[in-house]
Amino acid sequence: MSGVDALRSVGLRTAPTTRGLRRWLLRPEAPAAVFLVVLLAAFSLAADRFLSPDNLESILVQVAVLGIIALAVNQVILAGEIDISVGSMLGLCAVAVGTVATATGGLLAPLAAGVATGVLTGAVNGLLVTLGRIPSIIVTLGMLYALRGVILLLTGGTWITQIPDETRVLGLAKLAGVSLPVFVMFALFLIVNAVSRNSTWGRDVFAVGGNRRAARLAGLAIDRTRLLAFALVGAFVGIAATIYVGRAGSVQTNAGEGLELQVIAAVVIGGTSIAGGRGSALAPVIGAVLIGVILNGMILVGVPGVWQSAVLGALILLAVTTDALRRRLVGGAA
Amino acid sequence: MRTSNRSALTVAALAAVVALVSGCGETGQGPQQSAKEGGKIICLMPKLVGIPYFEASKTGAEEAAKELKVELTYNGPTEGKAALQVEMIEQLIQRQCGAISVAANDPDALAPAMKKAKEAGIATGAWDADVKKDARDVFVNQATFEAVGKQLVDIMSKQTGEKGDFLVVTGSLTAPNQRAWLEEMKAHMADKYPDMKVAAVEPGEENLQKGIDVTRDYLKANPDTAGVFGITSVALPGAAEAVEQAGLDGKVKVTGLTTPNEMKDYIKKGTVEEFVLWNPVDLGYLAVHVAKAQLDKKLPRSGKFKAGRLGEVEVVKPDEVLLGPPIVFNKDNIGEYDF
Amino acid sequence: MSANQLRALDVLKGVRFTRELVLLCLLIVLVVVLGQMSPVFFTVGNLLNTSRFFVEVGLIALGMTLIIITGGIDLSVGAAMALVAVTVGLAHQSGVPMALALVLGLAVGLAAGLFNGLMITRLDLHPLVVTLGTFALFRGIALGVSGGGAVSSFPQWFEYFGQFYLGPVPGQLFVFIAAVTAVWLLLSRTPFGRYVYAIGNNEEAARFSGVPVRRVKVVLYTGIGVLVSMAAVIYTSRVSTSRADFGAGLELDVISAVVLGGASIYGGSGTIAGTVLGVVIIATLRNGLSLAGVETTWQVFLLGVLLIAAVFVNEFFRRREE
Repeated sequence: MSGVDALRSVGLRTAPTTRGLRRWLLRPEAPAAVFLVVLLAAFSLAADRFLSPDNLESILVQVAVLGIIALAVNQVILAGEIDISVGSMLGLCAVAVGTVATATGGLLAPLAAGVATGVLTGAVNGLLVTLGRIPSIIVTLGMLYALRGVILLLTGGTWITQIPDETRVLGLAKLAGVSLPVFVMFALFLIVNAVSRNSTWGRDVFAVGGNRRAARLAGLAIDRTRLLAFALVGAFVGIAATIYVGRAGSVQTNAGEGLELQVIAAVVIGGTSIAGGRGSALAPVIGAVLIGVILNGMILVGVPGVWQSAVLGALILLAVTTDALRRRLVGGAA
Repeated sequence: MRTSNRSALTVAALAAVVALVSGCGETGQGPQQSAKEGGKIICLMPKLVGIPYFEASKTGAEEAAKELKVELTYNGPTEGKAALQVEMIEQLIQRQCGAISVAANDPDALAPAMKKAKEAGIATGAWDADVKKDARDVFVNQATFEAVGKQLVDIMSKQTGEKGDFLVVTGSLTAPNQRAWLEEMKAHMADKYPDMKVAAVEPGEENLQKGIDVTRDYLKANPDTAGVFGITSVALPGAAEAVEQAGLDGKVKVTGLTTPNEMKDYIKKGTVEEFVLWNPVDLGYLAVHVAKAQLDKKLPRSGKFKAGRLGEVEVVKPDEVLLGPPIVFNKDNIGEYDF
Repeated sequence: MSANQLRALDVLKGVRFTRELVLLCLLIVLVVVLGQMSPVFFTVGNLLNTSRFFVEVGLIALGMTLIIITGGIDLSVGAAMALVAVTVGLAHQSGVPMALALVLGLAVGLAAGLFNGLMITRLDLHPLVVTLGTFALFRGIALGVSGGGAVSSFPQWFEYFGQFYLGPVPGQLFVFIAAVTAVWLLLSRTPFGRYVYAIGNNEEAARFSGVPVRRVKVVLYTGIGVLVSMAAVIYTSRVSTSRADFGAGLELDVISAVVLGGASIYGGSGTIAGTVLGVVIIATLRNGLSLAGVETTWQVFLLGVLLIAAVFVNEFFRRREE
């Protein structure tokens, strides 16, 4: 029995605020948001520079790439699929961005190259899943390996360096003291949120992920919905790659390695269900920020390098336990 | 239960097929025979492929192979994992290499495999990163850990007035050579520069963006940091980039180890004044010369060893050939190098 | 057509294109092609030697198959392997007799799996999420406790463990065959195995039918912990050293083998035979390509293509049948 029901059973009428609170707490991203607030408080007490605007901005910039990609992968997961090729995709798009940048300079051409590469790769993923009827875990796992090989073959092991300053604008420029990547992330969040809630495709994603059989019987375009989701991932990875190249200043041959795990972590810790059909566009953003807060906080607090992974793991487990706690207090689906 | 019966049948069929297939092939050709038949191929294995440092060594190795007219195989795993190297060494033994020389991701983990190679009559060696002494005949060293550690600290001491707290950004906390450099750095500081201290060691995980982020966060939390050591080819550009982005270039000194091409920009801008490495092209070149000498049984155990265009290099120990002192790169000489 | 011919056609149609059959054909094709590319590949010596490398992944893949059949997953296996290896190493280093150190390692692996199992069942959390956390936690503990250092002074008999042969056959292969047999029997011949499939097909229905869902899951995650311990000990013995970076990326190798073998990531289907074939195919591909001198960058690319192609072929045949 949830806490609120317990109150009701002894005759206490629940005030509208309690009901509103309960409804907010039932949102998929609520546990992660609560945990985030707790962490922010804890770190700010432990390290005095933590809550400074400069540091907070730094955290957001550091997770911008992660957050942008997570926003798109979130849609794929909502649709009941998965995409673990995003790390290799980032590497490939970064190579495209870097190659064009060192050839022509500017910002739009490299950005277009990155997005085009991403959309193409994403479309391949999507087609293999829909037309090829191959489970997405296999398609994207295969692409994870295959694209890694392609990157090594294309670059021959050399970094792409001396990226022109104009290209790096998307990663380094600031507007009113806040770096562009943060604006990009939030802008993309607003777009995805609006599309997810209000467009046919957005609603179809939830339907397909929630119950594919029912969606098919209802006549929804399942294949097109999923294909678009995978292509969207590609586009977002392309944008993220441009930011990445801007911030890093060079493209290393193993760029993006291991990113897929962080992206999935951001999405699921943020509250989207891995089974599909449940979640929101806010979840990946909160998840990404949470990860960024943990990574940044550990260094500011002075956690020794050898213990950082353990602390990260423990905090992730705590974060997901918050979800279990919510269920005990307020009810709600797993 | 039908499915499981079918599975059982399948596994049995698989076993039968494998037995049949291997029966059809040559039987019993163990490693002993293969090495004697082959004999002329030099098999050089880097820690991993696909990074500039080991692509540079490949260039040098191929140059030497052409000069000496020997066949060369240069291949390594795509990730710096010892487990993958162990597998590849065993496969090299099968492939009839006359000499196997490996840049080890783990000195102990590769030892059993290298010993197997030795038993098969293959000339064994290590280059860039050593394995256990009894697992190879000779080690081609680019620079001693001591020389590298000392050089790094000396460079930093000049720039920071021989005092201060320093951040070290490394690759992984378990990599043996990085740990060894760190030990030598600390020892040299304690010995000659008691006012210099390594305040923290953060892993950059060979990830450029992580290296940048880690350095930035640390400098934010510790604004009195005098300098940053980036002791891997990814950590140094990351540290330099972070210092620049934080606007601290000039105030926070940066040095470390990496290949020159990644640093040309930073040297030009002055963010990094000097950094250290050796010439990986020369290292690969030397490794092949040493392997060839092993094959011809002409490797000296002391004194000097003549290695093609490198001239005479020193055989510092009966089982160690030294490339030379580390190179210090700065804006005066960086233009001469392209790797 | 005569009655006999009709009957023959019926038999042919009855040859269902099971996933395992397709994989077997793929393996045969691979072996033939790789054999052409390198004369050394086809030898008994080489094939047996290859088995030494896939035993560690194979053991863990057995446990992972059962977990994936129930619709779960375990991303922490590589990290748990490091934890076990570090435990054994540090215990030995601080003077504990080797045999006891091994038991300690086994206990740690079991405890790690149990921890996963309990967090998943008691807190009703999704396995992906929990094992994502333990993936970082276990390796972190291994790293912190060992400080990044290595232990390599193991007694001679222990080194013998992972490197011994019975005739031409490597010792680990026997261990693997025994484990395969045991797990296969468990999955296909016992009620427990039926429970596993039931949970994967429909967990709610299984629970209502009286399947002890929670207990089964805890056993599964603890069980894979035991398998991880075995793999860790074999690997540590094989390389005569123990360090906190062992098993990095192992979970991906294991999952690749299991999904190649036909287990559906959504749960409900999968066989031990398929997983074994998946493990062998990947190991064979890597070994054969290396022997043929193919550069590793191409190997990575080909592995990805193979994964997709193998499943595509299987799906193609399955659809033709429907």
